[in-house]
Parts: sequence; C-alpha cells; structure tokens
Amino acid sequence: MAASSSAGRVLTLCKQFQNVLRISSAINTPHCAANFTKYQPHVYRGKSPLAALSWSTPTSYLGQCRALHTTISRRGLEEFFDLPENWGETSVKSGAPWTAKQLRTKSNEDLHKLWYVLLKEKNMLLTLEQEAKRQRVQMPSPERLRKVERSIIRLETVVTERETALRLLQTGQEKGRPGDWRKNTFGYVYWYRFKEYAIPWYMNKRYKRKKFYTPKFVEPHIRLRLEKHIREKARKASLKKKTLAKLMEKFPQMKVSAP
Amino acid sequence: GSKRLFTSPLRYPLYQLGNPQLRIFRPNWFLTLVRPGKEQPPDTAQFRIPMEMTKCDVKNYLEKIYNVPVGAVRTRIQFGSNKKRNHLSQKVKQPDYKVAYVQLAQGQTFTFPDIFPEKDRTAAEGSVEEMQEKFLEDEKQKQKPDPRRGGVTEWFGL
Repeated sequence: MAASSSAGRVLTLCKQFQNVLRISSAINTPHCAANFTKYQPHVYRGKSPLAALSWSTPTSYLGQCRALHTTISRRGLEEFFDLPENWGETSVKSGAPWTAKQLRTKSNEDLHKLWYVLLKEKNMLLTLEQEAKRQRVQMPSPERLRKVERSIIRLETVVTERETALRLLQTGQEKGRPGDWRKNTFGYVYWYRFKEYAIPWYMNKRYKRKKFYTPKFVEPHIRLRLEKHIREKARKASLKKKTLAKLMEKFPQMKVSAP
Repeated sequence: GSKRLFTSPLRYPLYQLGNPQLRIFRPNWFLTLVRPGKEQPPDTAQFRIPMEMTKCDVKNYLEKIYNVPVGAVRTRIQFGSNKKRNHLSQKVKQPDYKVAYVQLAQGQTFTFPDIFPEKDRTAAEGSVEEMQEKFLEDEKQKQKPDPRRGGVTEWFGL
C-alpha cells in the first residue's frame, strides 16, 4: 500500500479498507487522527473499529487518495466517550465484528494496534452502559458491546494460533507453560501445570505436603467408584435398548440409524 | 501450557532482583469511567477497574494507552450486596468491584459530561414513527376540553 498516507494506515484497520478508502471533506474534520505511536493507535472515532456503514459507495483505492495532513490526537479522557454528535441518540450505527478469517490476513503490528482500538472502544461502551444505568435511560445500540467482545476473542485466538505455530517451529513444544501428567491422591490422572519458584522443590514445604501418588487405603474406594461408573453406563445402555425395542414394537417400519 | 483465553496470565514470571521490567502486551483490562456518587475534587476521575489491577497498573494504563497525565491513584474495593433474595428465597450476590480515584497531574480538571442530553427528534417522513407520533398527538388533542368554552369546566352546565 505505497500510496497510503499515514491516515491511510489508520483506515487499514477498518474492515473494508480496500473498497472504501475515500477521503472527503465530510470525513476530514479536525478530529482526524494519525501518527501511530507504539501504544496509542488513535483512530478517528467516525471510522469505528467495526466495518463502517457510512461509506456507501466503494471507490477505487488508488485513484481517490488525497494527501492528508493530520495531527496526533491527544484527547485523553474524552476517549472514554463517544463523539459529541452521538450523545443523546437512541441508536448508533455500527458495522460487523471482525471475523477470525479477516484477522488472519493482518500483520502482527496491525493486530497489536487493533487490540488497543478495540480496548478503547470497549471502555467507551462500558462507560456508556454504566452511565445509562445511572440515568435510568436505555443504552443506545447495546449490540456494539457484544460485537467488540467477539472481535477481541477472535483476535486473541488468532494471536495464540500464531504463537503456538512459532513455538512449535522454534522449540517443538506445543504448550507455552510446562506441565506433566500426575496422579493425585484420589487416583485421578490430570495435567499438572508447573509454577515458577525461587527455591527447588525439596526446599518447598507446601509443595512437599501435596501428594502426587495414591495411598494404598484409597484403592478400594477407587474400585467402588469404578464399579459405580460401569453400572451407570450399563444402565444407560440398557435403557436406550429398551426404549428402542418399545418403539420398534409400536412402529415396526421405523428406520433406525446404525450406531 | 495453559489454554487460557486471554493474555494476562494467571502466573506472571517470577521477579527476582535484576530481572527485566514486566511488560504486558495486549492487556485484558477494561476500565469504566463512572459519575462520582459523592462530590469529588475537580481534578479527580472515578473509574471502576477489574479486581486484579493495582494502582501502578492503573497509572501505567492511563498514561500509555490514553496519554492522560496521572498524579495519584487511590483504590478501594466495593462490596456487592449479598442481602437481596430472589423468588426462591436464595441470596443473590451483586458482584464486587474495585473503584479507583485518579487525580490528574498538570493542573488538569475533569467533570463528568452529560451524555444523554434531550434532543428534538422529528421522525422521518412517511415512516412508522411519524404515523405513531401523529396518532398520539391526535389522541391528546381529543382529551383536551372544548376551547370554545373558554377554560370553564364541564361541571357548569351549558
């Protein structure tokens, strides 16, 4: 995207940037933000983190770009609130949430910046929700909150996918935190995740009190537990068979799916 | 490795003297700016923060992400009531939350704005809302007394 200006980079965060990048006078107000610093991806609020519906006609990307001068937006606590035009509205337009498929096409830097955009949006929506509860007024468009949450979850899954892939390639480990299969005192085998300590395990009194083995006197109880489990399974299976036999008696032409 | 859904790990790396500063990428903490219940000094903003955050966390969060100059931060934990009971007489717990009082540096002031101002809403032409408004107006007009009587009530005959 060589033709993109710094504001164009801002707009790449929005969903349909290939189609709808159009810098018109309507959008280019003093609120325009640009100049990404590492942790402050200020995005002009009008271009919401979700797909913007306000751009109706897609225009060709390269043809309609204009050189744009923008300043760093330092709005501080104002970012906890929506644009002043939207105060008092009953509904605010917002686009679709990000899908995992779209997020996988983005670079790590873009995802990092998008995380903070979504974080700020969610903070804004939470403040709006709380204030609406306080004033006993309906919150305008509460579905925005759900959309942002879903986008954040999907972003997280994409990032963890990339991290696990990288870890597998570099070290061959599937999990970031080391662990082990261990048996607890009740006879259950579970995945024990290691914790970081400053001292070795043989000096750790609390750790030594934990038993990673089953004592001899627990074994009869385990046997009884097993018997109970098997009995329950057998009961369920026989119930299924009986109901099926009853149905076949009543409806002999019934088609039964093979188990 | 843990299959946790969000980054902020349940276990941060152990800190010993000389270790590098802990850095959190993609923090999973969301702040809510609230209107203060009691009168606060003009430079104080009141936030509801997740329980796991500390004063330093709040300060760094606001400074790095929102570029807000933060002076002092004081926190407290608000107990959510466990007194109310539902239709089954079971106690219903309101969630606890942490409140942070953030004092802004550099002489900045902050007042919580009015986010729900009254706006004159004229419905769009030919829409359902316009028809409904018209209908309600007509109904109200019918309820008014006869203007020809000059404000005199119906109790006086004629």
